[in-house]
Amino acid sequence: MRVAFLLLLTAAFFPAQPQVEDRENPFGGDAGAVEEGKKTFAGSCGGCHGTTGEGGRGPALRDGKLIRRSNDFQVFTTIKKGVAGTDMPGTNLPDDQIWKLVAFVRALSSPAADILVPGDPVAGERIYSAQNCAGCHMIAGRGGMLGPDLTNAGGSRSYEYLRESVVKPGARIQQGFAKATAKTKDGHTVEGVVRNYTNYDVQLQGRDGKLYLFKTTDLADFKVEVATFMPTGFAAKLSREDLTNLLAYLSRQTSRPVELRRAKGAR
Amino acid sequence: MRWTLTLLLAASLSAQVSNKPVTFEDIKASPNRNWLTYSGDYKGTRHSPLKQINRANAANLTPKWTFHMETGRKLETVPIVYEGMMYVTNSNEVNALDARSGRRIWGYRDERSTISRVNRGAAIHGDRVFFVTGDCHLVALHRITGALVWDKAYCDTKMGAFATVAPMVVKDAVIVGIGGGDTGTRGFLAAYSSTTGEQLWRLHTVPGRGEPGSETWGPKTLDWGGAATWLSGTYDPDLNLIYWTTGNPWPDFYGGDRNGANLYSASLIAVNPDTGKLQWYFQFTPHDTHDWDAQGWPVLMDIPINGKSRKVVVHANRNGFFYVLDRVTGEYLRATPFVDKLDWATGIDAKGKPILVPGKDPTPSGNKACPCVRGASNWMSPTFHPETGLFYVVTLEQCDIYVSSAKDPKPMQNFAGGGGEQIPTEPGKFYLLALDPKTGKRVWEYPMTGPGVMWAGTVSTAGGVIFFGDDDNHLVAVDAKDGRHLWHYNMGQPVFASPITYEVDGKQYVTIASQTDIFTFGLHEPIPSVPVLEGLRKLQ
Repeated sequence: MRVAFLLLLTAAFFPAQPQVEDRENPFGGDAGAVEEGKKTFAGSCGGCHGTTGEGGRGPALRDGKLIRRSNDFQVFTTIKKGVAGTDMPGTNLPDDQIWKLVAFVRALSSPAADILVPGDPVAGERIYSAQNCAGCHMIAGRGGMLGPDLTNAGGSRSYEYLRESVVKPGARIQQGFAKATAKTKDGHTVEGVVRNYTNYDVQLQGRDGKLYLFKTTDLADFKVEVATFMPTGFAAKLSREDLTNLLAYLSRQTSRPVELRRAKGAR
Repeated sequence: MRWTLTLLLAASLSAQVSNKPVTFEDIKASPNRNWLTYSGDYKGTRHSPLKQINRANAANLTPKWTFHMETGRKLETVPIVYEGMMYVTNSNEVNALDARSGRRIWGYRDERSTISRVNRGAAIHGDRVFFVTGDCHLVALHRITGALVWDKAYCDTKMGAFATVAPMVVKDAVIVGIGGGDTGTRGFLAAYSSTTGEQLWRLHTVPGRGEPGSETWGPKTLDWGGAATWLSGTYDPDLNLIYWTTGNPWPDFYGGDRNGANLYSASLIAVNPDTGKLQWYFQFTPHDTHDWDAQGWPVLMDIPINGKSRKVVVHANRNGFFYVLDRVTGEYLRATPFVDKLDWATGIDAKGKPILVPGKDPTPSGNKACPCVRGASNWMSPTFHPETGLFYVVTLEQCDIYVSSAKDPKPMQNFAGGGGEQIPTEPGKFYLLALDPKTGKRVWEYPMTGPGVMWAGTVSTAGGVIFFGDDDNHLVAVDAKDGRHLWHYNMGQPVFASPITYEVDGKQYVTIASQTDIFTFGLHEPIPSVPVLEGLRKLQ
């Protein structure tokens, strides 16, 4: 039944007879509306979709695939009318609040570079520099190797993803960036992030800036941690304004700049 | 504190990947244990000095690893290998692999590309690898981490262009071309600084209005004449010239709106890589109406011609003739047929022009001509073995029915002015042909038995082995001397790419991309039992 429910909800975003109406969200790209929508979402939608859209009884909304292929009006209609034959109910919320929900849901899945985000990216760049983020992260080929490349952070990640990565660094570990330690049979210890590993071979990016391609027959032991080198509590040291500015800076990192109005409609 | 207390003793570890940047000199020295260009070397010979795998032991080859490209549907990638790392591409995607195990070290995928096309491979220079997205972004990535360094849009997709090319690096220049010649576009080569990503030069392969050569087109087609540049090129460091082939004129099969030779379509162009200046050109098929792009490889060698050693470029063209040109001047030296099914021309005259057989152009009702639209050979890579002195090229014996359409040509609407159709009772047949470039004589042929669908090429080794993909899903090894079968392996999927060979940790490998996977082979050796490491017994 659950499978059927999910399929039906998914189908609701791609109606068999698509709505010809394609109204844009009057609050599209409005950071304040996104914040308001977020609060409404947590109270009214989070029970099924997860409070930050991570999914639960209902499908996840932040991986982007479901939402990006729907236009704003389709998302609005789905929220307002619900999905017949599923547990997704309609709502009596005022239209303005529904549109703000749409703005939040869109922000969940749209690349951060595609939406208007709060904060000052220029001030954010100073935070990035002062906090030595480049010690582990690269932008345009400059920086360290132990954290994910941020050159296209805004073009490939949602604002929510970036915020979570800064505020809760261990919440999700990107493939290739888990901490690991290899001890070789000849007495060396290499600490770094593991790009890939099996029982037979290990690809480890060392903290010394070197990439190691080990056979496990050359290792005395190898351990992977459910952790990264991103300092926990990093965000707590920042003021709210500094955090917002840092996120604004990261959101602007994109290999393919787009017109921000594009965020108002479907991709 | 913890950071500073950690003891790192790593300097002498043999598992370290070298951080040494790839230099122009390194590329000139390739192939050795590395494979640093699409063809391995700059000359396009695809000949490796490795000989651990040789004619005496090739029968002992076994699969070593397979990398499954999750997004693969028709891989055309030729890997780059440098110091134990392999770089393979797919549409809008690069993966860096451990060349010993096939395990992915990093992957880069451009989800924002608006065009999904096949991709023929990457290039390498400095600490960067380069590739193109389907929508013509030339992308530079850090070769160790995959981090994006720069990304430059280099064509206008609204003008019918897209990209599949494997870039070529010459000194600091990354040189790229475009596809799109079958539906109308204007071909060009462009060079970008590998360091900064800034454009260095651009050379159009169809002249602009009023420029020399524009008189060889009609007004309807000049702006969209094709001559695409979708295959990589070769390079002579001594002459400082790159050699790049161009595609068909557009519309492919109807020439009524483009009376003239249609320069510089279906040609080989020699270009200064520092300035982008055209040094010389040679057009194989003037006013082509059979979609015979010149995208076979221009292979550079020095061979005796009429008793005198000449710097030549040789080329097996889709039109069925094997050409030998002076690569200094572009002077035509000789052309000989390299397939039997060839009836559109009786030969090539003293000036290099085809002696046409009347009545072989496409017609509205269909007209049989040979070779077929896929050509007597195509972009599948040939190889030249200096010890045997032979040139090995995949050939296709087939004719087609060519149909034309005089519809008013409108670019970017899938209009090619007609098409070529296989004759149901005359299936095509592929061969691996060994040809003597000194004489143009065909020495031996190894027949293939499949359905006639593949784009796989060759690689040769100092071990006396020619590896090639066939149209029965095999990678095959034959003796370079006489074509005697040595080994084969059924990959279970069609092959649209050419093999390479490289060495890591003193072991030679052979790699080829199949439809969806990268297969790597080496000599058989027993695998010792691998104890499970304590740290991997439980999730940490």
